[in-house]
Amino acid sequence: MNIIQTVGLTKCFGDFVANDSIDLSVEETEIKCIVGENGAGKSTLMNMLYGLLWPTSGQILIRNKEIKLKGPTDAIRHGIGMVHQHFKLVNSLTVYENVMLGVEVNKGRTPIIDQKEEIKKVAALIEQYGFQLNPTDKIEDISVGSRQRVEILKMLYRNVDILILDEPTAVLTPQEVDELMVNLKKLREQGKTIIVITHKLREVMELSDSVTVIKQGKVVGNLKTEDTSEGELAQLMVGRDVVLPAISERNTDISEKVLYEVKNLTTINESGKELIDRISFHVKEGEILGVAGVEGNGQSELVKVLTGLMESTAGTVFLKGKDLTNIWPKQLRKNGIGIIPEDRYGQGLCKDMSIADNCIAGQQDDKGFCRLGILNKKCICDRRDKYIKDYDIRIGNVQGNVSDLSGGNAQKIIVARELEANPQLLIACQPTRGVDIGSIEFIHKQLIMFRDQGKGVLLISSELSEILSLSDRIIVMFKGRLVGELSSKEVTKMQIGLLMAGISERGSSL
Amino acid sequence: MKVNKVKYLNGLINTVLPVFLAFLIGGIAILAIGENPLKTYWILMEKSLFTSKGLMNTLHYASPLILTGLAIAITFKANLYNMGVEGQMLLGGFFAGITGAYLTGMSPLVHKVICLAVGVLCGMLFALVPALLKVKCNVNEMVVTLMLNYAVLKVLEYLATGVFRDLGSGYVATPIIQESAMFNRSGASSLTMFFIIAIICLAIMYVVMKHSKLGYEITAIGKNTEFAEAAGMNVKRKIMMMMMISGALSGLAGAGYMMSEQFKFTLGFSGSPGLGWDGMLIALLGGHNPLGVLVASIFYAALKTGSDNINLYTNVPKEIVAMVQGLIILFLAVKFIKRRAS
Amino acid sequence: MDLLNHILYDTIYHSTPIILCVLGGMFAYKANVLNIALEGMMLSGAFFTALIVLLTESIALGIVAGISSSLILGLIFSFMGITKKGNVIIVGLAVNLFVPALIAFILQLMSTSNINLNMLDATAFKINIPIIKDIPLLGGMLSGHPPLTYLSFAAIALLSVLMYHTKFGIYVRVVGENEDAAKSLGIKSDLFKYAAVLIGSVCCALAGVNLSLERLALFTNDMTAGRGFIAIAAIYCGQGKPVVSSMYAILFGVARALAINLSIYAGAASGLFDIIPYIVMVIVLAVVSALKYRNSKSRIIKLE
Repeated sequence: MNIIQTVGLTKCFGDFVANDSIDLSVEETEIKCIVGENGAGKSTLMNMLYGLLWPTSGQILIRNKEIKLKGPTDAIRHGIGMVHQHFKLVNSLTVYENVMLGVEVNKGRTPIIDQKEEIKKVAALIEQYGFQLNPTDKIEDISVGSRQRVEILKMLYRNVDILILDEPTAVLTPQEVDELMVNLKKLREQGKTIIVITHKLREVMELSDSVTVIKQGKVVGNLKTEDTSEGELAQLMVGRDVVLPAISERNTDISEKVLYEVKNLTTINESGKELIDRISFHVKEGEILGVAGVEGNGQSELVKVLTGLMESTAGTVFLKGKDLTNIWPKQLRKNGIGIIPEDRYGQGLCKDMSIADNCIAGQQDDKGFCRLGILNKKCICDRRDKYIKDYDIRIGNVQGNVSDLSGGNAQKIIVARELEANPQLLIACQPTRGVDIGSIEFIHKQLIMFRDQGKGVLLISSELSEILSLSDRIIVMFKGRLVGELSSKEVTKMQIGLLMAGISERGSSL
Repeated sequence: MKVNKVKYLNGLINTVLPVFLAFLIGGIAILAIGENPLKTYWILMEKSLFTSKGLMNTLHYASPLILTGLAIAITFKANLYNMGVEGQMLLGGFFAGITGAYLTGMSPLVHKVICLAVGVLCGMLFALVPALLKVKCNVNEMVVTLMLNYAVLKVLEYLATGVFRDLGSGYVATPIIQESAMFNRSGASSLTMFFIIAIICLAIMYVVMKHSKLGYEITAIGKNTEFAEAAGMNVKRKIMMMMMISGALSGLAGAGYMMSEQFKFTLGFSGSPGLGWDGMLIALLGGHNPLGVLVASIFYAALKTGSDNINLYTNVPKEIVAMVQGLIILFLAVKFIKRRAS
Repeated sequence: MDLLNHILYDTIYHSTPIILCVLGGMFAYKANVLNIALEGMMLSGAFFTALIVLLTESIALGIVAGISSSLILGLIFSFMGITKKGNVIIVGLAVNLFVPALIAFILQLMSTSNINLNMLDATAFKINIPIIKDIPLLGGMLSGHPPLTYLSFAAIALLSVLMYHTKFGIYVRVVGENEDAAKSLGIKSDLFKYAAVLIGSVCCALAGVNLSLERLALFTNDMTAGRGFIAIAAIYCGQGKPVVSSMYAILFGVARALAINLSIYAGAASGLFDIIPYIVMVIVLAVVSALKYRNSKSRIIKLE
């Protein structure tokens, strides 16, 4: 029977309709996946089921009875629990403190918390579900996969029947993903209903019993997993045949000249622990070097060091023979390095500044824009208009701020700005994260064109398919070290997956 | 364009409403002691804005306020809190006064320039301390500048009662500055060249903030330091530059005030609550707009000079102005953050 | 020997108001609401307590008045800063500017510049503990203080327990560290922020009571002399931890005690002793921050 159902559920943010009359039904003890592109409205839907957002209209039914959710505590009371993509854990507290947050146990009538009792309860729960966790570990000390298990445990402690997971595999190694799927199936056997939001179609096929496809706020398909395929789902998601990027055809040969050389690059965090450890690689002219790895294994730090936002403690960086080790961002640009940063709103753009102002970021010293310290506003606006035209950037109000743009269009501004400066090497970090399919295709094409001019690209991405389709050579990072180098022609996903999880080709753990 | 007009109107309402509310509550306090609030407010404004002598005096008092207001406004733009404007101003004023008093036999122009330069330098150097601490050790500049304000006050107290004391004077003060260092008054009022200097600074800062690369970088730093650093603006260097500019403006304010009004350093040099804190109010009222700074300075100077008259014509204590000042800042605090976010 | 006794006694004596402010302010710090209105709350507590005692000759009523005034300030601060999402630093500053102005206004109406509580004998407040007071050195230090002093030291322990061993303390810390996490579990973050600020109000009011009532039976409009800001510096130096922050507060007490007791030897420069605590705080802040970030290789500065 339907354990949870929505009827005509709608959510509007002002004029924008995020969810348009959604009819969804989930059967008891099934695993359902909700798929859709970035920005399709999946998270909005789930936030309404968890009480974090209130519907504009429509109904939510639990076991055929309508309910109104005023907040997360309401949802939990009705047996709905949620594990968010960005964990809602308190780092300085322990596992058991996080699990018991909001439902602490006191010593008798006093307001003092009974820590022993809490630890006992949580330990029992861990045992019951077979999670590998230590109740007294601090969150800041445990792995990402473990943190996710704490989040799930939080919900299980509160006796939820329905567990919603939002993009759970974004931060896991392929092996951890498999582990998660096993755990979810076990939970289903114990009588729980699971809803997973994801855009990874392979996982949908392996894990779910049924799939609902959402596109631009509307439901466009409700299928049984065994009756469909990845291709069909992809088509429903975007409404056309998506060319899942095949390995790009090369028009030119890779030269043998080394463009960019990094040797033994190392840096540490505040406690003195190595974040990246003796990283060495090179990029040749006319080559795209892909850096694969699950997020959190040092890629961010590597990029920060290479883009001048962090200092290295050892190692060297050379571009065409010139020493660029530890130079500051301004010098990097002057020496011909372009940067597409990992967090477009953190390092790439300023949300509260105008589009024109963002178009010259990093280049404000250039003679075209600035004379004797005064900015030439007309030149800047001309440049902005050029980018909008050449890079197909969709803008409502040209004078507006970057915050008015969608993720894909904002990313295109960065791409335009960096490529138009004509660098020698482009460092592209997670270039298509959170970007719609159309923009993804566009950006990939730009990267290929750039490479074909004989330049180099250092591509860092946690989307394995992106790495596989664009790179000429692939290196893998694990726990701050480089653990493997492969040529893209011969590699298999299995090989990379193992390396990403720290298991060397000989089968031993790294 | 329509969007801009609406935004402008919103901005105006955002500024005027808090002031109105503050005066309303102040009015209630005045009523509570049995006086007429409208009469009180009218007296406040009348003498200071509606006579030509009064207006000139008001502009005169507005001069240091324009500068301290600017000093705080530019650091606000960068998301820094330079609470040390008061201390930097006092330091500038004090040493300008010493230079003015002890340096003899100079031509008026040279003497004034030296005194102003000394004031600016003192303010800059003193602002360097929290700037360096912020940049090198990442210390919260707000707490440091607050602490240093108290420290500087005590040091100046010590210097004024000890080494530099004017023994001929009946209360604690430094010697009166030489005539060559005093700004000449125009006509019967107190208006001096200092006002022009303040306006010139205002104009310069406007051009810098709206049209120069530095202004662009300061705005970027205020909104997102990571972005600023990634875009090649050496954030640490810019922060130091900004604090020093702020200190320079504060020092100039103190020096000019010394040379156009006080002529000697006393323990009540800066008035109550202090020109630096008045600058805070002005920055909040008008900081996003040079015209706003000017209007706010004149408005507040009018309040200040008018407050002396309140005592003469009513029974209302002149502290009512300081109370209204606190209330204005309180109500502005809400708009302050909304403006930033939009 | 006598000098040492005095210094030790004065240390405890002068640390008290700071410790109370520190203990009050640290909850707001942990809840990520920067409460710089401690100064104003303390002054208000001092004033209204003195005023009501003057008018009613009842100490109890006076203390109630003092605490109430501080609570009202706390509510205004919370409303403007939390509910209305105003810039808490500006709101705090506004309070700090408004309170002395209001007090001066009232004093002016009363045609006086300070409040003399002649009917009280301040020395009567001092508690001389029977056996302890005769212990050499320690006795002089521990005995003979007014009640709030003992209360403040006890409060260090009490409020530590509140912060680390009760639901309330955990929720305040969670709200400050990860507000999202709190909200996702249905914890009303605004409520706890209000509570944190109001605890600060009460503690600061008591600090004010200590200043005006217990010590001198006198109120002047600049009594607090920046102690509220010293408390803020102490909280920052100690990163909101009760015991460590209180230690820094005691450091100020030491500096003050030295300044007072050694001023006989220093003559005209005695005023300079008073800047020692401020300079010490700045140095401590610099050192603490420098140590905290010494290994950080990041070039990005965070501006609050």
